[in-house]
Amino acid sequence: MFDGIQFNSLGEFLAMGGYAFNVWSVYALFAIFLVANLALPLRKRRRILREQQRRLAAGAGQEEAGAADRAGWELSQEPGWEK
Amino acid sequence: MAGRWQWFHRLGSPKWFYEKTTRWLPWLWGAMALFLTVGLLWALLFLPEDYQQGHTSRILVVHVAVAGTSLSFFPLMAVAGTVTLVWRMKLADMVAKNAAPLGAWFSFLTLATGSIWGSVSWGTWWEWTDSRLVSMLFQFFLLLGVISLRAAIENAETAARACALLSIVGCINVVVIKYSVDWWNTLHQPSSPISMEVGSPNGPEFWVATVVMIVAVYLFLAVSLILATRNEILQRESRAQWVRELALEAG
Repeated sequence: MFDGIQFNSLGEFLAMGGYAFNVWSVYALFAIFLVANLALPLRKRRRILREQQRRLAAGAGQEEAGAADRAGWELSQEPGWEK
Repeated sequence: MAGRWQWFHRLGSPKWFYEKTTRWLPWLWGAMALFLTVGLLWALLFLPEDYQQGHTSRILVVHVAVAGTSLSFFPLMAVAGTVTLVWRMKLADMVAKNAAPLGAWFSFLTLATGSIWGSVSWGTWWEWTDSRLVSMLFQFFLLLGVISLRAAIENAETAARACALLSIVGCINVVVIKYSVDWWNTLHQPSSPISMEVGSPNGPEFWVATVVMIVAVYLFLAVSLILATRNEILQRESRAQWVRELALEAG
């Protein structure tokens, strides 16, 4: 079933017997399709979690801000806050 | 009696799904990577040149795997839609909602890879009179239709039910795609019978490679759909205590 690798050189492999455009464009589309549908949901997940953290921090921040006001501090000048 | 259907109701719980998939995902990623690596190396390096198609037969390994898998989207959305209509399970609708755009990607890639292959073997990129080509294009538009239908209806529950109905009806087209090559014999060839003999048309060196790629593409479908559904759960359940805790842990 396996007669080994079907190409004798890298050049031959890239040329695909004259069908380089057809073969490689299909594999390029396939790669884009795979990467896009895995990377995009992973990126979205990070964004959702970041937003969620910010919301939770804002919720906690409101309580802190009340305390900060009483103490006369400017909370926005504290380091570590995303604008 | 009480216990018998418990698993079914648990399955509908987004939290249960999220926790289960947290444990499944590493295995699914691993299996996908394995099958994809074997399938790609086989198709690109080891598959012998076809006596008629030359190296363009390497395209078919990808095309057949993606095309075959693309037929599972309407049945999947129809099952999820039925669960939505009958039991109003939130999770089923989340799966259905995220399946539609992924199915559109699958259908588009099927059309594109088929066209690129056909431009060599058939001498044409497209043929409007071919039933297989046109019914696959119709599936692509139907999926875009499901996506726009959901976007167009403001009430989320009405949108879910409308999409469920369209998904169930859309299954008819899957049958048409499947049998189009037998009912109307125009350009697209029916699937070749598999052969056990090495070196014969559609011998094991070709179809085993294709089966490996089909498994890889199904695993990819599962991973991608699970990732998207988990995002949907995190968004819709953002007020739940367990999601808050999860966000804090992740930070």
